[in-house]
Amino acid sequence: MQSLDRRTFLGGSAAGLATALTSSAAALQPKPKRAILVALAGGIRTRETFGSPANVPNLLRIAEQGVVYSRTRASNLGHFGATLSIFTGIAEPRGIRDNTRGTDPTLFEYLRKDLGWAANDVWVSTSGGVQEANVSYSLHPEYGQAFGANTLDGDGIFNAEFKQILEAYGRPRVMEAREGELLDQMRGAIGAAGGAERPDSEALARVERFLLDELRRGTQDLTGLGASDAKAFRVARNLLAVFRPRLLGVVARDADVAHRSFNDYVQVIRRNDAMLGELFDALQADPDLAESTALFILPEFGRDADLNSRRGLDHGDGSDDLRQVSLVCCGPDFRRGATVQEEVRTIDVCNTLCDHLGANPRYARGKRLPRLMT
Amino acid sequence: MDARTLRRLFLDLLGRPPLEGERSEWGGRTRAALVETILPTEEFWQNWIEEQLYFFLLVDNFRPATEGVRALPGLLAQGKLGVREALHRICLSSSFERRNPGPDTFVSVVMEQVLGLTVQKTVRELEIGKRIYDGARGTFLGKPGNSQADLVHIAISDPRALHCFLEREHQRILRRPMPADLAEEWVARLEREELAFADILRGWLVSAEYERRLRSSLPQPNHMFVRALHVDLMGRPPDELETQRFRTALDGLSDATPLRSLLARLILDSGKVRLPERGAIADPAAWIRGQFERLMGRQPEGGELAVFLQAFEDPACRPATVLYAIVSHPEYQTW
Repeated sequence: MQSLDRRTFLGGSAAGLATALTSSAAALQPKPKRAILVALAGGIRTRETFGSPANVPNLLRIAEQGVVYSRTRASNLGHFGATLSIFTGIAEPRGIRDNTRGTDPTLFEYLRKDLGWAANDVWVSTSGGVQEANVSYSLHPEYGQAFGANTLDGDGIFNAEFKQILEAYGRPRVMEAREGELLDQMRGAIGAAGGAERPDSEALARVERFLLDELRRGTQDLTGLGASDAKAFRVARNLLAVFRPRLLGVVARDADVAHRSFNDYVQVIRRNDAMLGELFDALQADPDLAESTALFILPEFGRDADLNSRRGLDHGDGSDDLRQVSLVCCGPDFRRGATVQEEVRTIDVCNTLCDHLGANPRYARGKRLPRLMT
Repeated sequence: MDARTLRRLFLDLLGRPPLEGERSEWGGRTRAALVETILPTEEFWQNWIEEQLYFFLLVDNFRPATEGVRALPGLLAQGKLGVREALHRICLSSSFERRNPGPDTFVSVVMEQVLGLTVQKTVRELEIGKRIYDGARGTFLGKPGNSQADLVHIAISDPRALHCFLEREHQRILRRPMPADLAEEWVARLEREELAFADILRGWLVSAEYERRLRSSLPQPNHMFVRALHVDLMGRPPDELETQRFRTALDGLSDATPLRSLLARLILDSGKVRLPERGAIADPAAWIRGQFERLMGRQPEGGELAVFLQAFEDPACRPATVLYAIVSHPEYQTW
């Protein structure tokens, strides 16, 4: 942070002083803090990450610049509930195939409500399909949809089949300004007497444009094992460039292929690491983002200690391999190259992120991560 | 039946609004007659199966493609099969196993989704179930078994499975939990009579409770929106593949509004929608009123009509602009 130094203050003319004061005031404005949270929701053991450095060169590169919590405990061991608990800071049990929103507010809601962020300030890029869209907001009466994140499943939208369908219909014609005005008037009139909510045409148009552009960028060409996660990372990178969100979540879950194949599981870990590296490099290449963005990376839980009969890895033995994961936190205000052995919990991420960005996670039950800051 | 009741009943039973011919056939006739006509049709049971598959998240790559599952709507419509056996076949499909890989996930999902249990509170049964999944002998929910098929059979045969199923359907159709006294009666009846579900459902649909439900509105799920948009703009339901691809894309967004709006615009601008020429609309007020009734199931309020008419006077406003304003509005996307 730059401050007004003694020489400038004493030696400057009145005009110089005024200029210095103005420019320094701008420099004194704290940069808006941002964060990226990567939840590896398929379940990944530390053995295949920090225990096998060749699998994750990029994660190690990021870890060297931040803090590693090597004993991060996951209380919830079912897929959907475990992911949700990272975002809510509450480890309530949830059905694995629950396709409903939770009742505990998510960190997106805390941030948007407390800090007045707009909808396009908070994005989540997922690979989990319909269920994962539920992490965007809760049904809590004090929070809810009005404070939710935009959640986008890259695999659902940016696939070759959907692109083909869209191409069969052709591109929508460009709407002239006057027609757009008339459209807004008509849309705004529907239900207006009953106080119906008026759609935000500008925000709608911006997201529409992003979706159309993204279809042109070729994200749908990512195919093969781990492609869903790869799309989630690629979409996240592009969201970062287009919307510059204050909080960006990435939920990847292809590692769950481990149930049937250990080798495929390792391949997914390696591909995810490469995509994580791409995201990190994009972040570092933008000075403004690099100076303001903190990165949190953790699996929702680990996996069993031993292979199953299909030479895969399930997640149900209650072992430390399953319950303890490694959390990496890297950011401009954080310590560098540190490892914390003290046990923390996956739900602490919600509290730490909210605290870091300036919101109060009133109902979350986690704690701020210890020894994170310089 | 008024236009709104007709539209909502079609959406509830067939997952789509009425086609043009159906609107003229059923407008003004009774709800009971329509229910009586629709319930025995294969289209109704096809939609019911879709709802069940969606509940189990057996969609996209996990959608069962076996003849056994594909034949279900026909068998259900002909009364050759009851809902319990249909659910049994779905849970026995290889797609169900692929969707829920490994003993922990498989048994948890069977306990949670088929029986409505909280596995965290029934850890012992979960552990027994996991051993049975792996081929060991065990007693799960009081019955012996030693395979995945046994697990599914035991769960589906349990009366709690029927209660869980009826609760889910009651919530879907009437949008509230089953009353406790009647729940017991319905479960007992379905336990005795395998084919009784259609009759129970008929009772729900002609009840005063359903009248109350018709006055409530919820946002349409994406698969319903896709079907409604196709019927309303193109005069036909989408095929299975179109539904799947559009729905999957929409499900990829927590707030699908921008993509819904984009899809509506794509379809309207595609040249595949039969739209009158602007000059051919002799009475704009009547035409706009007709679009409101057709797409929203109601007449426009005075203020709404005035704004639409004023906009339509401007040459920049096309018939497609009017339709786009309606179908991209949240009210159109409720039912």
